Amino acid sequence: MKPAGMGSTLVLRLYMGLFFAYMFLPLGVMVAAGVNSYSPPSITVWQGFTFRWFAEFWADARMWSGLVNSLVIAVAVMALALPMGLSGALLLSQLGRRSAGIAYTVMVSPLLTPGIIIGISTVIFWRNLGATAGLFTAILAQSAFIASYAMLMFMARLQRQDHTLEEAALDLGATRARAFRRITLPFLKPTIVTAAVIAFLQSFENYNTTIFSIGGNHTLVTEIGARMRFGISPMINAIGILFILVTVICAVVWSLLRQRERKREAAA
Amino acid sequence: MTKLFRAFGVPLSTVILMFSSIWILGLIAAPQLIMIEQSLWRMERPEGAAEISVQIDGLYNQLDVMALDRSTAEAGTDATKRAADLAALDAKEAAINAEIAALEESESTPVKVYTLANFGQMGAAHLAIFAKTIAASLAVSAIALVVCYPIAYAVAKLETPRTAAVIMLALVIPYAINELLRIFAWQMILNQNGPANLLLGLVGLDPVPFLESGTGVFVAMVYAYILFMVFPLYNVLETLDGNQVEAARDLGASTWNIHRRVVIPHARPGIAVGCIMTFMLSAGSYAVPYIMTRGTAAPWFTQLIYNRFFEATNWNVGAAYALSLLAVCTVFIFGMMRLLKVSLKDIAK
Amino acid sequence: MTDQSTGKAIEFDRASVRFGQFQAVQPTDLRIEPGEFFSILGPSGCGKTTLLRLLSGFLDPTAGDVRIGGQSMVGIDPSIRPTALIFQNLALFPLMPIWENVAFGLEMRGWSRARRRDRAYELLATVALSDHAEKMPAQLSGGQKQRVAIARALAVEPSVLLLDEPLSALDLKLRQHMRAELKQIQARTGITFVYITHDQGEALTMSDRVAVMNRGRIMQVGSPDDIYDRPANAFVATFVGETNALAGKLASTAEGLALMETPLGGFRAANPKGLRAGDEAILFLRPEKLRLLAPGEATENHIPARVLRRDMEGAWSTLVVEAGGQELKLHLAHDGREAPPSGEIALGFSATEAMILPKGEMSDD
Repeated sequence: MKPAGMGSTLVLRLYMGLFFAYMFLPLGVMVAAGVNSYSPPSITVWQGFTFRWFAEFWADARMWSGLVNSLVIAVAVMALALPMGLSGALLLSQLGRRSAGIAYTVMVSPLLTPGIIIGISTVIFWRNLGATAGLFTAILAQSAFIASYAMLMFMARLQRQDHTLEEAALDLGATRARAFRRITLPFLKPTIVTAAVIAFLQSFENYNTTIFSIGGNHTLVTEIGARMRFGISPMINAIGILFILVTVICAVVWSLLRQRERKREAAA
Repeated sequence: MTKLFRAFGVPLSTVILMFSSIWILGLIAAPQLIMIEQSLWRMERPEGAAEISVQIDGLYNQLDVMALDRSTAEAGTDATKRAADLAALDAKEAAINAEIAALEESESTPVKVYTLANFGQMGAAHLAIFAKTIAASLAVSAIALVVCYPIAYAVAKLETPRTAAVIMLALVIPYAINELLRIFAWQMILNQNGPANLLLGLVGLDPVPFLESGTGVFVAMVYAYILFMVFPLYNVLETLDGNQVEAARDLGASTWNIHRRVVIPHARPGIAVGCIMTFMLSAGSYAVPYIMTRGTAAPWFTQLIYNRFFEATNWNVGAAYALSLLAVCTVFIFGMMRLLKVSLKDIAK
Repeated sequence: MTDQSTGKAIEFDRASVRFGQFQAVQPTDLRIEPGEFFSILGPSGCGKTTLLRLLSGFLDPTAGDVRIGGQSMVGIDPSIRPTALIFQNLALFPLMPIWENVAFGLEMRGWSRARRRDRAYELLATVALSDHAEKMPAQLSGGQKQRVAIARALAVEPSVLLLDEPLSALDLKLRQHMRAELKQIQARTGITFVYITHDQGEALTMSDRVAVMNRGRIMQVGSPDDIYDRPANAFVATFVGETNALAGKLASTAEGLALMETPLGGFRAANPKGLRAGDEAILFLRPEKLRLLAPGEATENHIPARVLRRDMEGAWSTLVVEAGGQELKLHLAHDGREAPPSGEIALGFSATEAMILPKGEMSDD
């Protein structure tokens, strides 16, 4: 691309540098406070390097029970949101133009609704049926919008499917169900994996919907939120460091996998 | 529907329909409808409650009168007559007591009344918070758009594809790190003793109570949601054919006109998605005000909703408040779609 | 390949297809004989693929009946019809190795893995692909994929093989080779082949009989010679092969011949449809039937013309001339010795080699 002029390119570069500093410096501040002996978390008073806050996190029973809850919810959400999203996408592929338009609007609406409202409406609905808020309502509330992400991913993949493949299978004697299992499902497999990972992460990291739908129970993230409000212990920062590490590792692994996938597709 | 059964066969179609209805009806439609219903009623003392209490007072008076009758009867000399009188009084007293109990019951059992009053519960103070929340969310969207547009354009069109991929991957990291942690970083920075105030002190200024003034909420909100603008913008700008920009320049368009006539029209769906996401996340954010204010500044509207549900426990008013927020978001979404002439299909790519 | 599968007859009985307001296939009667290589030829959108889908079972007729081997196919699922389809894009399953592709139909019929694997290898051997059995479809060339698709279809031992322009993606050389191979397979297996194409070269070289279709209607059914030499109407005459068309009016008729007045003058030609004097008609004249006359040579039909240009085609050349304000084409045998004609020339043709047909829709290719 021909530059608009050296001067403006330089200005843009500088601007981009500033933006990156803006994005990453706050994270740096948090990381630094996580290994500073001083409590409450601070970087303005430096009292020496420590791993103490990690140990404190390790010993915190409430955090651990939150983690267990988070995992339970995330697995349940995966098990519910994936089949719902896939069913939604398959249903859309077979509906007429008008009804597909209406169904599509309803299916994406949770993505355009504030998370707290999804949480609240779920709790109200289940209280009317006599159930109190807890892990169960959190799972349902999260699934409502995570299924939308899954549906969009499956829909994009289905649109790229060559329908003559299914017809070929039927022509060769497959029943509809077998053609689906043998042809469509293998074709969808990469998307199922991606959608499962995204569903897990979305569920695990969710705060807004969960805090409104989980009642008296807690997840790791809602517990972290509760502790943050008072910013008392750098343990929060230590957890933050762990989150950042996991995120960076996931991002790198993901991009490597994608690169490999692209190379393989280019070779094929 | 017949097309579905034709395409997948009966057993598979049944499973598809089952999961779809659980989702669409059970998890999306029914809860929303019940929430709307909840916002439309409240429990009220029944009509004519005042009359009933007059009746009850009258019955108590009768009891007082009967106490007098009873002492008269007890003073009677004829043993059989006395016993009969007392028995009659006992029966009458029991009947009156039962009547009182029934009336009191109906007086104190509130009935469900459909009304729009829940929406009217928002006094001036709450209305001000509502307006402030909307205004601040609009400002977050606007700031995010202005800040991110040059970034997205520069990455998508001026960098080599390789560099662009690395830059976007780098931006995925802060994007993927939990919202709470990103907010907490700003709580530390803007703290009374944090680095922001330390810097202000170095240039000789007095510390600023960022967290207590509500500034902190706004700053953290921009930071927390700005990346929801970068990615949609980058995605659409990446698909812009570079030749179009060069053709426009070749035809003598200035940088401003290239963007006004070529780039921005192409970026409409991305702008719509970015604005809708940042607005919706800001207006519906509970985490940012919760963590940033520590309860010291005027709360965000979401906090009012939380309080209606879990502290004041008036779910009807809470549902009305939640519905008001939802209505604002819906209006904003349709407004953006109309303004930028994009459809729902363009938005959810 | 297989000896046990024998072709079955196909009958369309007033079968028609309508999509909403659009009549894709007009009520059609057609019988295809057992073991016949039958082509359906027509421009894109003429309804030939719709006709094929009636046979494969992805579509049922709006009215009428379709029978294979005497049995009505209406409402019968594609998976249990005695047909196998070779798709235009071949539709090989990209995530299965070649042998699994070939064995897919057997897998659906409940064959054990070992048995169907053996059978797939056998079939692949007959199409010279044994070495590629474990590869994935993406690793094969166009011609190889083609042969896999054929083996996959034959594996289910169909009575009728349906081919939907399967050669269209191949280059010219390979296409010619595959024509011969398909013809061979058909002769060996005795299966009824129904071949859909818009390429007349394919239809004419391979088929026992050809149906020409236009706008959802079968215009003519006949042997390749019939179709080329004795077109039934203006559409077939113009769609199949090259031709010169001269519009005009019949002046008189006699013994299968007619005299027709055209802007270029009066011509005598065959009148197979028995048109009468005064009828509006079109005279069709193949370029190879038009001759260059020696100076002074007399003939029954004489056209004075002027040479516009000569297009070299290889074995022959096409001379484009102007006569009476209309362009005509004729083929000249190419011997490389004579100087090409130029300037004012005279053309002639014999009355029996030109044909007068009623006015009607013509192909615009």
